[in-house]
Amino acid sequence: MKQDFTIELSSDNNFSVLNRIINILNRRRVRIKKLMGFEDENDFRRGGIILLVHTTTDLAEKCKLQLEKLIEVDVVTVHDGSTAYIELSERIVDVD
Amino acid sequence: MDALQTKVEPKPKAAVKESSPERISGSEILLRSLVEEGVETIFGYPGGAIMPVYDALYHYADKLTHILVRHEQGAVHAAQGFARVSGKVGVALATSGPGATNLVTGLGDALIDSTPIVCITGQVFAHLLGTDAFQETDVVNTTIPVTKWNVQVTEAKDIASAVAKAFYIARTGRPGPVLVDITKNAQNEIIDAAEYKKCEGIRTYRPRPVLQHAQVDEAAQLINNAKKPYILAGQGIILSGATKELIAFSEKTGIPVACTLLGLGGFPTDHPNYVGFLGMHGNYGPNVLTNECDVLIGIGMRFDDRVTGNVSKYAKQARVIHIDIDKAEISKIIPAHVPVHADAKEALRALIDKCKINNHKDWLDKFHALNEIENDKIIQKEFNPSGPLVMGEVVHLLSEFTKGEAVVVTDVGQHQMTTARYYEYKNPRTSISSGGAGTMGFALPAAIGAAYGAPSKQVVAVIGDGGYQMTIQELGTIMQYKIPIKILVLNNNFLGMVRQWQELFHGKRYSFTEMDNPDFVKIAEAYRIKANKVTKREDLAAAIKEMLNSKDPYFLEAVVGKEDNVFPMVPAGASVSDILLEAPQK
Repeated sequence: MKQDFTIELSSDNNFSVLNRIINILNRRRVRIKKLMGFEDENDFRRGGIILLVHTTTDLAEKCKLQLEKLIEVDVVTVHDGSTAYIELSERIVDVD
Repeated sequence: MDALQTKVEPKPKAAVKESSPERISGSEILLRSLVEEGVETIFGYPGGAIMPVYDALYHYADKLTHILVRHEQGAVHAAQGFARVSGKVGVALATSGPGATNLVTGLGDALIDSTPIVCITGQVFAHLLGTDAFQETDVVNTTIPVTKWNVQVTEAKDIASAVAKAFYIARTGRPGPVLVDITKNAQNEIIDAAEYKKCEGIRTYRPRPVLQHAQVDEAAQLINNAKKPYILAGQGIILSGATKELIAFSEKTGIPVACTLLGLGGFPTDHPNYVGFLGMHGNYGPNVLTNECDVLIGIGMRFDDRVTGNVSKYAKQARVIHIDIDKAEISKIIPAHVPVHADAKEALRALIDKCKINNHKDWLDKFHALNEIENDKIIQKEFNPSGPLVMGEVVHLLSEFTKGEAVVVTDVGQHQMTTARYYEYKNPRTSISSGGAGTMGFALPAAIGAAYGAPSKQVVAVIGDGGYQMTIQELGTIMQYKIPIKILVLNNNFLGMVRQWQELFHGKRYSFTEMDNPDFVKIAEAYRIKANKVTKREDLAAAIKEMLNSKDPYFLEAVVGKEDNVFPMVPAGASVSDILLEAPQK
């Protein structure tokens, strides 16, 4: 059964990293409901992305493993539901 | 093979003061970086946006052998063939736009088959990026899905570090293809030379997992208690150089071993514990008994759909141990009861220590008994047929005459499956084929690369008439460099595997699969390659021997039955244990 998941991801910040991440999800036809990317305020070479996706638990877990394989990606965490997305995005907006 | 025909012209030394740093171009930095990475052979094709690199290459002919292919797809497949036989990183060079996009098929092939290659592409000047300049294509974004990593370099100062990173990523962990796109201004830019530093680590990339001993203990316990354990060996055995460890593990535990298509050569076919080739056209015993084993041990393999058949009916009775260096492969298709995230060699060494000496003779005999049924119903008929030549007898003779020790490069289709079934591989890195991608046109250029990667080996490309014509232009490369590969085309004047499916599953409607072929002998001869054609059984052995004995490139066409099928076969959607030994009765 499909449900919402929040994917929290930290990575290097370069020109292609967002495309790499989206490719992983698009190829597996994972629906992206919301997305927010940000640059680390202390180091522009680092950054992160949070995504709210709608998919199955199995596919969310498999996408996590594929995302972790990306060379630039550091840590990936998958949270059930949208609460984490709302909290994380508010924190990012507050920083900005 | 002939040396590069470009004359060696060492670069004249600039009249500079001893104390001033050497000033060199981005192109020369690239070539120095390649030399520092141990590269000796490059497969490539020049063009506008890579011309500065080719100009610098003119002065590097004593250090880097450049093979001018006839199409960029040929370059990338040659780099793959080189990498697969040598274990080193293969290198391909191409220009921007179409030159770069012609690499895409090979990159995708290398990604799915875990082949370490680095492709260098030229790109338009940085200030023209995004302007739709002549031969500008967004190569980085185009190749993201087909590379392990890629990068665009727009300044000369970043070239060396990008190359270092590219080689490190390509060869470590699960190997794969990397592309470095270099803008023309970066190639031209003159900067101070600096000492080359090899990449030794990347903050966000951890290629070598730490072996978890708890996982090994759990696996060993399952194996020690198993009555019908069974090893499926994939290419991970070859990539990690774990053949000796696999043999030792199988011998100590008495466990039968079957190989996937890319795993062929990873375990000797003449070993008593070898039970055959897995998959859709694999051997009878290893397919049927997948659904009888109690512990299934997948090592360095990814449970490809050609191996599993219908996943919902695959090894449901078994406890599954999956050993793989790529964590994302574990439980991707078949849930693993015991995941072992590790390099195959390291995991096998640990398992050898922890597993008890055992014997599963009755279980092993069951594989051999089933394979004997296949031998009676299929193999003996293939080896001793009547009527037109049969693919199986051709490959059988090739295997016999080369004692299973040649590097055999296959394309995709019936000839590929026949070669996988009947060529008796003895050593790792001798079976080269396009597995996951199934790229027709792979074999001829990959054989060129294999010849450079294993110059002391006999290299034979076994190809169908369809795939041969997809990259036939590489005969020009073979001619120019006198590359002594042997080309064996099994010609049935059909796209044979598609025709087989049309016959079995589409009411024998041969929709656009019959081929009106040219005179292949004349074509080879036009490229100054010795050529022969064999149609009769009584001439076959002599024709193959003549081909193998030739010191030069040689082309042999074997005309085989038009409508022969490859059996056994697991029909699409069926369980591996429902493998067919013959066509179903209508």
